Amino acid sequence: MDAHVLEHAAESGSRLQDLAWMVLFAPLITAAGTHMFLRRERSLAAGFNIAAVALSFVLSVVLFAAFAGETVAGSPFSWMPVAGMDISFGLRLDNLSLLMLLVVTGVALLVMLFSTGYMHEDPGYSRYFCTLSLFVFSMLGVVLADNFVMMFVFWELVGVTSYLLIGFWYDRAAAADAAKKAFLTNRLGDFGFLMGILLIWSATGTVHFGTAEAFLTAHPLALGSMASLAGVLVFMGAMGKSAQFPLHVWLPDAMEGPTPVSALIHAATMVAAGVYMLCRVFFLYTLPANWPDWLGFLQGIPASSIVAWIGGITALLAALIAVQQNDIKRILAYSTLSQLGLMVLAVGMGARLSAPNAGAAMFHLFTHASFKALLFLGAGSVIHACHHEQDIWKMGGLWQRMPVTFVTFLVGSLALMGVPLFSGFYSKDDILATSLETGPILFSLAVGVSALTTFYMSRLLLVAFLGRPRSSGAGQALESPSSMTWPLVILALSSVFAGWQIFGVSQFLTRHFLPEYRTHEFDPLFGPFNHNPTAAMFGFGAVLFGMSLAARIYYGAERDPLPGLMGRLARAMRHRFYFDEIYEATVVPLHDAAAAIAGWIDRWIISGLLVRGIPGAVEIAGRALRLLQTGNLQTYGLWFAAGAVLLAVFTLKR
Amino acid sequence: MLTFLILLPIITALVILAIPGHYRFVIRCVALLGTLETAIWAAVLFFRSVPGTPDFQFEQLVPWISAGGLHVNYHVGVDGISVGLVLAAAWVGFAATAISWDIERENKLFYILLMMMISGSLGAFASLDLFFFYFFNEMALVPTFIMIGVWGSGPDRQAAAFRITLYLTLGALVALVGLVALYAATGTLDVTELRRQLVDHPLPIKTQQRVFPCLLFGFGTLAGLWPFHSWAPQGYACAPAATAMMHAGILKKAGLLALLRVAWPFLPDAVAYWMPVLVWLCLGNLLFCGFVALRQRDLNLLIGNSSLAHMGFAFLGLASMNVIGLTGTVLVMVAHAFLAGLSFALTGWVRHQTGTVEMTRLGGLLRTMPFIGAAMILCFMAGCGVPGFANFAGELGVLFGVWKGTMFSLHAWVLAAAWGGLIIAGVYMMRAIRLVLHGELKPEWHEVSDANSGWRRLPFVALLVALVLFGVAPGILTRRIEPAVVEIVKMARHRAVPDSLVGATGAVQP
Repeated sequence: MDAHVLEHAAESGSRLQDLAWMVLFAPLITAAGTHMFLRRERSLAAGFNIAAVALSFVLSVVLFAAFAGETVAGSPFSWMPVAGMDISFGLRLDNLSLLMLLVVTGVALLVMLFSTGYMHEDPGYSRYFCTLSLFVFSMLGVVLADNFVMMFVFWELVGVTSYLLIGFWYDRAAAADAAKKAFLTNRLGDFGFLMGILLIWSATGTVHFGTAEAFLTAHPLALGSMASLAGVLVFMGAMGKSAQFPLHVWLPDAMEGPTPVSALIHAATMVAAGVYMLCRVFFLYTLPANWPDWLGFLQGIPASSIVAWIGGITALLAALIAVQQNDIKRILAYSTLSQLGLMVLAVGMGARLSAPNAGAAMFHLFTHASFKALLFLGAGSVIHACHHEQDIWKMGGLWQRMPVTFVTFLVGSLALMGVPLFSGFYSKDDILATSLETGPILFSLAVGVSALTTFYMSRLLLVAFLGRPRSSGAGQALESPSSMTWPLVILALSSVFAGWQIFGVSQFLTRHFLPEYRTHEFDPLFGPFNHNPTAAMFGFGAVLFGMSLAARIYYGAERDPLPGLMGRLARAMRHRFYFDEIYEATVVPLHDAAAAIAGWIDRWIISGLLVRGIPGAVEIAGRALRLLQTGNLQTYGLWFAAGAVLLAVFTLKR
Repeated sequence: MLTFLILLPIITALVILAIPGHYRFVIRCVALLGTLETAIWAAVLFFRSVPGTPDFQFEQLVPWISAGGLHVNYHVGVDGISVGLVLAAAWVGFAATAISWDIERENKLFYILLMMMISGSLGAFASLDLFFFYFFNEMALVPTFIMIGVWGSGPDRQAAAFRITLYLTLGALVALVGLVALYAATGTLDVTELRRQLVDHPLPIKTQQRVFPCLLFGFGTLAGLWPFHSWAPQGYACAPAATAMMHAGILKKAGLLALLRVAWPFLPDAVAYWMPVLVWLCLGNLLFCGFVALRQRDLNLLIGNSSLAHMGFAFLGLASMNVIGLTGTVLVMVAHAFLAGLSFALTGWVRHQTGTVEMTRLGGLLRTMPFIGAAMILCFMAGCGVPGFANFAGELGVLFGVWKGTMFSLHAWVLAAAWGGLIIAGVYMMRAIRLVLHGELKPEWHEVSDANSGWRRLPFVALLVALVLFGVAPGILTRRIEPAVVEIVKMARHRAVPDSLVGATGAVQP
């Protein structure tokens, strides 16, 4: 891999890779232009920003065609040149980033097209597109970064721009609160990320991915007792962005933003950034486990196991919660959490394989991006048609009134459930196969999650789209305009085909981790059943089980029968296992108390004692001085002489 | 050129003095033009200064007193450390003048005092003779007290003025004692002369031990070192916006600059000895002041406390005692100069429009003040260390520097605490945005106006541009700062007692 790097650094004639800079900066330029000149030109602003993202997409395709299978990296821009921490910025093109570029720009483009219809009446139309472009810029920065610091910079910018997007309707209290929560939770994760970066920098002397990886491959023990800690700290960053337990609380609330925003940031980009980053620094998780003394109780547990378990717990918890949500966007939000959990699990498990490989996680990220964006946009279409009604129990019968939305939504759901022939089946199977190889517990957990996924998606379909309309809004719903349905159709197509082996996405990604990897069998449609029949059969069985159970319970139901069947557990699921309440009851009072104590000390001890003490001291000194101040010239003369002598003594003695 | 820059505000003040007090418009215009020119010249100076060299540039030396044992010269010059501060002083000075457009009462006197502050801080940053440094610093400090007393707001402004005067005068006095002791030991107050003398013959450790605490706590008080900080938030809350901008943004940095110029290169043994103490005090700034900021309901008090937390970063970088950390410190100083200037300018606008900075009484202002609101969001983001702003670059430098620092073994915990301080900053900054800008617009604020004309927006834009410029390309600064810092670190290696011995006595064990 390094040979490639050198080769391309040396050759300076054809600099096709410099196009990547244009991919990165096009959205930033239009965002700035829109902000400065086009704030009142609604359609011009939209067109301008869409054109920029379209340009980025086209250029990404060109780059993909030119560089697939190679690694091109260079750091031409020195950002902060200080001896010892020379940080330069550059872009890195390899299988991982090339594919991710396509995902980000492609989904962003469709989301923006969809938004021209969805946001048409909003007074902040131009601001919306401007912020969206800014977000795409930051996300592309994360994708293209070739070193830790640059990734961290854009990572934070993704946090900031998502804050602006989630709080787009900032005068609604709920949206403003959700934005704040998202920002702070992400910051908490970034706390660990930066610490991890510092650890890696101090051990390897570099922040560049390529150099650090080469160094750690050559000296796997370079991080010493900090090896596992570094992995976990960096993972904290992913926990924030990819909303992993226990930092998952921000994502469902973030649904307060406009729905296309949810599609963009909570399906294809921001939350995927965490998984992408883990794959980028995958070399950290293959290091042997080693903990410092004060964490001695973790001795023997590798960082990758912690990653896998956090992912697994997130997947299970979120899937359980999704079963009892009634807001269509919240169901999708928890489903996103659960799928992200699976991806994180796949990263952790991938590192435990005999030939470490996180291809499954990236593959699922890729297919998930298209079908989850489709589902969110479909939900947006439904919400738009039902006059901003989001409760699925107030919908019903929509399949007749919104045929395009229904069919595409159905395709997205089948892909998410992992029904064979749909893209989700292939990627989920990869994850199941990976976990089957490394541990039966997490494998069964993943199968359970897949059954639950099928169950809650079937519930959503049965309640919202079938049956009879349960509100006047649903009864009068009309199909959305074509600006909104076309993106749905395109995404539906890719949700079907993206996983097929003909396109070789899975292999392409695996080769990033294992350059020599070639598959022998070639079956475009039913490969999983040949490759790892156990995993595939379990996955398929979970789908059938979940579907039939949901059909039994929810077919023709007018109210949710589950609370009656499950009682307290259903209530806990509906209340999201009380995480918000727990945090509200612990974290908030804790830091309020710390603030109160600090405030009290500042007010009464530091200010009180010192400030009121100093005037007192001055008063005493004044009185003392008054004794000296006799008004007698001779006394003054005496004091003056004494002072001079003192000074002389002091000077002579030194 | 440097002298001209320092004198420009003074000349402006003299012109204003000659204009009769009731020509208010003329006075405002003269002040604005004078500071605008200063700002432009400072920018020219900054970009003409040669990066990559530790030498003093634009140097000028005029012998003044040379009688008996006393040598005091007017000696100015800038190196990479001070050139950024000079730029910041001139720009923030301009912005402060521009946002004071609406001062009605005694505006002639107000502008004269403001010009003195600008000139004094420029002079302090440029002085290479410690006597003149002290003189310029006092020249800028005295107007601060008067301005808070006369144009300040709030019921307890007299108490605040009293407190700030008391603290800063005492701090300056303590620092003066240290400087006099240094003079007694070396016979010169000229930085270049000191450097020449001490490079081969470091001061005996006893002298260092005597001088250093005076400098640390004296100049530390001027810069708001915990626990000598409590003058700051209250003082800024009561001060008129321009004064708060100049003081919090600019003058506070003079104390830090003096420590960098004098204490760190010339008293390295004492620095090593006091390091653990300094680290703990930094944490006081970073965490304690952060928590105090969480409690505030007044926006100005919040910003005052948060600016103290930022000073914690600067001190922490000093404590790292290596090139990366010290470079980070200087970056933080410059960045914070612009940031504090911007913050107080913005709250000044809000207070002028609504008559209050009580956060719970405000709300939804982004609706009626899109420009000011957006600038405020950016400013608060910069305040909690978001990349893209100069502050992040500086903080990153400090964190990397502390990590690299081998002087104390606590570093992991110190780092975690420092970075934790930024998370606390996130909490209170987000809270402030939520309360002041987001949410529903209260009916009483339907009529408030935004900064609408380009002229009104200029000061805010100028400061924001600086923050973003140095955030996106911190190299512009670091290329100038680093060589000068390398000199300091080199000087600091010439210890009276070698490292190993200090380690053996346990002096540096925290």
